[in-house]
Parts: sequence; structure tokens; C-alpha cells
Amino acid sequence: MTRVAVSGIGVVSPLGDTLAAVYEQAVAGRSGVHRLETAFSHRLVAPLAATARFDGTAHFEPPKLRMLDRVSQFALVCAHQAVDAAADPLSGLDRSRAGVFVGTGMAGTLTSDDGYQTLYGEASDRIKPYTVLMGMHNAPAGWIGIEHALRGPNLTYSTACSSSAVAIGEAWRRVAAGELDLALAGGSEAPLSFGSLKAWEALHTLAAIDAADPSASCKPFSKDRSGMVLGEGAAMLVLEPWDRAVARGVRPLGEVIGYGLATDAAHITRPSVEGQAAALQAALESAGLSVDAVDAINAHGTGTQANDPVETAAIKTVFGKRAQTIPVSATKAVHGHLLGAAGALECVLSLLAMQHGVALPTMHRALPDPACDLDCVPNVARRGLDIRTMLSSSFAFGGTNAVLALRRGD
Amino acid sequence: MTTLERLRTILVRDYKLAPEALAPEAPLESLGIDSLGAAELLFNVEDEFGITLPPEPVQLPTIGDVVDYIDRLIAAKGGDGVPAPSAVEPAARDS
Repeated sequence: MTRVAVSGIGVVSPLGDTLAAVYEQAVAGRSGVHRLETAFSHRLVAPLAATARFDGTAHFEPPKLRMLDRVSQFALVCAHQAVDAAADPLSGLDRSRAGVFVGTGMAGTLTSDDGYQTLYGEASDRIKPYTVLMGMHNAPAGWIGIEHALRGPNLTYSTACSSSAVAIGEAWRRVAAGELDLALAGGSEAPLSFGSLKAWEALHTLAAIDAADPSASCKPFSKDRSGMVLGEGAAMLVLEPWDRAVARGVRPLGEVIGYGLATDAAHITRPSVEGQAAALQAALESAGLSVDAVDAINAHGTGTQANDPVETAAIKTVFGKRAQTIPVSATKAVHGHLLGAAGALECVLSLLAMQHGVALPTMHRALPDPACDLDCVPNVARRGLDIRTMLSSSFAFGGTNAVLALRRGD
Repeated sequence: MTTLERLRTILVRDYKLAPEALAPEAPLESLGIDSLGAAELLFNVEDEFGITLPPEPVQLPTIGDVVDYIDRLIAAKGGDGVPAPSAVEPAARDS
């Protein structure tokens, strides 16, 4: 197996669009969740979101911009950031051995919503000619492949909230097996359309507004948790053989060392201890790790009533006594749930946490819950740790559970 | 204003294109507007000129072609006997 380096990262998120900003916000526990002020907010039960400060006109010429849904804009900007950060990784590359692996859950839902508004809301037939091309799930990956002339596999994974963990894991497999010399892998999501928000609201999985502090509305592992907050953004990683990165003079930001994948095959929404535990176990086996070799976990940690106790039980199933002492961070409290991009952003946060020797805080954990009795690093970051190896968990509606095993870049 | 000037106004306003680039012989493709982009542009043309385009797709490779197309539709709308443009081959796109 080839060692696989993360040699470049790009990020657009509610916590910022540089690694430094994202880390500073996460370690300080400053939330990117806020009241959503839009024309349709009054029709939402709890108008909350975690938005990215992102203006497509700053990145694309108007004719190009008209062809790109926000989800593709995020993905393209992140891919360029990642390639730039990796210091010319495409030079001398056989482009047929370079691939694109993108996760997205809802893809061009803003475009779809816009089209429905035209057709049904305005009773007009003037649907945009680009609607199909903007809305299709593989648009972000397709554009990345075009802009960087990557001619190997160009794959899109849509497994709901585990989409981008799956994308990174599947990319890792191919680079580790020697099939590819480079992969751009990650996820993108722009789910904050009216239709999407109402549909999520109807599922009864979204958080109620914390009246005292709306930014604290998502409360993973807390007894008073009421649900998740939708977020938007993207994260993309350049994955390449460790030796290639080092030979190019790049100091890797981290390493992907394993990937576990397991499916609940039980219920379309209800999480399963068995399925989550199987994915955690598979990640350990894939990376050749014992439970004692894992220094910390970035949890799926949605802040829903259903997920958090099940995830607690799954971690206990796999880690036994070690589950009581291992730091488990649920960062969705501050960046929201980026759905298909969540796994990629949390993979990035895990790499940053290791780099800085920090267990990131699980914010807004006001009330301990006996059903969630892990060391979830409540409310304050824990610094000065030697964190060399982490797992990053992503579980999903549909039952596809994915766990990435990561190592610090040294 | 002439049809060309009014079309230029749309292209400058909505596509942020430089006016000097908008000569009649300029290919739309070279301005970043492909066949689907041209179809979208025609929505704005309908509003600006108060005309209704026939549903059949048309190929309009240059700015001058768009101007001619608009002028013929305006003339047809005015009932001066000039026939509306007939359908030409569909915009070439792969599925």
C-alpha cells in the first residue's frame, strides 16, 4: 500500500475560507450559525443556517457564473485553493492517472428551486437553459475535471451526510493501491434553498432557535439538544503518494491511513449502533490501528435526539473502556451540518486539530446527557495534546456509514 | 437607439462585457456565451424588445445574427409582411 499524503486543502465554510480562519473559529468555539434573514425566513419555523461568506462574482466572470450553481462555485474555488496550496502538484503529472472524487447530497438544489419557482410560482415556461447542467449532481466534479484537465476517474458520491467522507475514502483507496498519482477529493453543498429548508423542516430534524443565543442552537451531546442546523460550503483535498509530495518539496498537512465503510441496511433515517460500530471497526482494521492508538475522534455529532446516543453507544461498542477517555469532538455545533460536504470539512478540522495538538470543543453542551456520556470536550478546547491519529465519522440517512482514519503530517 | 445598441446594453448590464468587444461580427462563443447561453440571452431580449420568440431553437453565432433575428421578429410583429424567421437546426448539444 502506498502512503497517501494530504498535500493541499481548500475550504469555503461558515467558519471562513482559509485554514487559519477555520481553525481559529473552531478552536475558539465561535459559531457560524445565525438567524437566516431571507425573503422566505418568515415561513420557516426556525430560520437558522450556517452560511459561507462567499460571493461568486469575486471568482467568476458573469457568463461563466451563469452556468454554475453555488455548489459548483464552492467546489471550483476550493479545488483551486487546494491545488495552489499543494504547490504545483499537477506539474509533470500523467493526467490520466489523476481523478476527481466529490461528495454532495443535494447538489444543485438552488437551481432546481429556481426552476420550480419559474414553472409553478410564476407560471412561466422560461426555465433556464442551463438548469440541467447546473443542477446535476456531478456538475461540481465535472467542472473541476475540466478546469484542471484531470482525465482519470471523475466520480460523484451521493450518500447523504457521509457523501464526502465516502469521496475521500474512495479516492484514498485508489491512490493507496497505486492506481492514481493524484486525486482531488472532498465535498460541496449549497442546500439553503427555500424548498430544501422546508423539506428538512418537515423531517423534524432541525434545531429550534435558542432564544438567548441563536448561534448556540445546535447542541450536540447536550441533554437539551433539539436538532441540527443546515450549513453550506465545501472542502477539497489534494491526495497524492506521500513520497511524491515529499519529493516535490511539499510538507504534507496530514495523511489518510484508512477508511471504514458499513451500511445499516435497517431504516432509511434511524441510525443504527451496529452500522456505525461496524464502520468504526472497519476504519481501525483498514488503518491497522488498535483502539489505544486512536488519540481523538471527530464525531458525526449532529445534535439530533436520534444520532447522539446511538453514536455514543457505537463508540463504546468499539472502544470499550477507552471510550470513556478518548476526546470526541462534535464540531457541527459551530459550522452547522454541511450534509454532503460535512465529512470533508470535518476531515480538515481533524487534520488541523492534530497539527495544533488540540481537541476541538463540542460547543453549547449545557446539560450532560447520561445517554451521551463520552468525553465530548464540552465547550472549551483542550490544548497541549499530542494527537497523532484521529478518526472522523460521517453517518447518513440511507444508512451509509463512513469513517476516515487520519494521521498528523509528520 | 438601434437594435445593436439595445442589445449591447443588455450584454454590458447582465454579462459585464466590454462595449468595444461587442461588434456585429463578434462570435457569442468568444464572449463566453455558448448556444445555451444564447438561449438564455433571448429571454432578456423578449423583455427588452417586447417581442415573443417562436419556440423553435435557432442558431445565432454572432451578435449581428442576434440583431438580424430581433429585427425580423419586430418587423413580423408590426405586420409589414416580413415573415418570422423559420426554424433552423437545433442548437448543437450533446446529451
